[in-house]
Amino acid sequence: MSKSKKKLSKKDFHPNILCFCCNWCSYAGADLAGVSRFQYPPTIRIVRVMCSGRVDPAFILEAFKDGIDGVIVTGCHIGDCHYLKGNEFARDRFERFQEVLKIFNLDKRFRLEWVSASEGKRFAEVITEFTNKIKKLGPLFAT
Amino acid sequence: MNFIVEIERSKKAKLEADDFDSYLRKIYEPDLTNLLKKCYQCARCSGVCQISKVQKFTPSRIIQMILEGFEDEIINSQVLWDCLMCNSCLQHCPKDINFADIVRIARYKMRVKDIQNPDRSIAHKGIYPLMSEMMSQDNMEIERPLDWIPKSCTTSDKGNILYYVGCLPFFNYEFEDSLSIAESTLKIICQLEKDPVVVLKDEICCGHDLYWGQAKFESFIELAKKNIKRFEETGATTIVTACAECYRTFKIDYPTLFEDFKKKFEVKHIIEYIFDKWKQGKVQFKNPNKSHEVIPFTYHDPCRLSRFLPKDNKIIEEVREIFNNLKIIGYNFKEMEHNKENSYCCGVNSWMNCNERSKALRYKRLLEAKAVGTKMITSCPKCRMHLNCLKKDYDNFSSIEILDFSEFLVDLIKIIEPNQTIEEN
Repeated sequence: MSKSKKKLSKKDFHPNILCFCCNWCSYAGADLAGVSRFQYPPTIRIVRVMCSGRVDPAFILEAFKDGIDGVIVTGCHIGDCHYLKGNEFARDRFERFQEVLKIFNLDKRFRLEWVSASEGKRFAEVITEFTNKIKKLGPLFAT
Repeated sequence: MNFIVEIERSKKAKLEADDFDSYLRKIYEPDLTNLLKKCYQCARCSGVCQISKVQKFTPSRIIQMILEGFEDEIINSQVLWDCLMCNSCLQHCPKDINFADIVRIARYKMRVKDIQNPDRSIAHKGIYPLMSEMMSQDNMEIERPLDWIPKSCTTSDKGNILYYVGCLPFFNYEFEDSLSIAESTLKIICQLEKDPVVVLKDEICCGHDLYWGQAKFESFIELAKKNIKRFEETGATTIVTACAECYRTFKIDYPTLFEDFKKKFEVKHIIEYIFDKWKQGKVQFKNPNKSHEVIPFTYHDPCRLSRFLPKDNKIIEEVREIFNNLKIIGYNFKEMEHNKENSYCCGVNSWMNCNERSKALRYKRLLEAKAVGTKMITSCPKCRMHLNCLKKDYDNFSSIEILDFSEFLVDLIKIIEPNQTIEEN
């Protein structure tokens, strides 16, 4: 995290993005992106969780507190959840959590996306797009 | 060149560390035995402690072990994370030993020296203390929504009287209508004040939960510094708050850190504020419904307004004086079985220990309330939230309505306009 603090100029700013992937869809999607050699920027650190419903808002705040520049949570499409309703819980929870993120001015640095196991290309696209967005916003704790 | 920069940087870091140490010394006493010497093992604390009835947690035994030199064992056993910090023990202690203070200091030791992780006893995955910690960071910009302010109120950035909202907008994401406390409080203050009331858009946490819960004194000191600086900028002299925890923090913990805080600001809880105005004859109570039905209600004393305040400053009798006066307008005040300083704790303090043991405490409390009335008033937003949370789980409590003090009074208050026109004529 300290690396991002030192590199202050916007041009060579290399964001650190935390990515939560659900075991059944998005992680397989990320795998497929790797196997099919779709290019995407090496900015993300993937954390595998069993379901997107496992991700607690506290994890996201903690990540921001420790200096991560952006957080993305990915899960199965609505209706496809391995545990039937996990991603619906995640959706409802993060919709409400946006209120809190807005108070901290962090709402643009967080995203919830649905990526299925067959959408390797989409995974790469989402990561590229989000990285560009974070690059535009700049580092979180710029001094 | 780099060498010089590095020296300067290390000097600055050293200065900062010294600064922190000077503040830490005021709220942290490394030798616990100094604070406990007076104990003569009457074990009243263990008798009154609610946790000791369901778990291996006996305050008198802990005290004796520390006195006999087994402090490390107490710290290693992690048992002090389970304390509810309700301070019932202080109320019954003949020697005035402040056990909650000892737990707070021990928790700092447990966290910093023993590197313990209190995760198992933190409620809601610790999201609210995390928010407070985020606010203590230097570069964090806070922008609170102000759309809850009622249209009839005028607010500004600078003025004489400041309403400190507290964490209510943050609670709103998990607990429904917690902002209605803020709304009704501001309505009351606005009616009584001629000048616009200060409501800050970039208000930060008072740090209470970090101070008592996980003993993160570093962030607490940062928050206190930032808060005082921001209050000074507004030019306010009176701070009104509707939160019992904020009140205790401003009244006692900030002045121990910064001696001049007491001179600069006068801190008032909304109960004190309404009581003073009532005594001055500016406020009357009136029932808008005009029905002859008598409504029985009761009051739950939050620990921060009763047991945690010095003996002559407790906000206990003021509330009862107001409530007894409401009998004329059809509200009949009744005491619960445990009341005033002896009232039961709501079970959760600083987002620690929301488990089956503390839920049992809340269940007991609601049973007591159900026996005497249909409305339960409290003056701590967190007590209201925790009790409401349990109420939802049990059908037999559906008859009780749990309200905050300001929510209850906002419809009953009638402001008497100062008759200036007569004087002018």
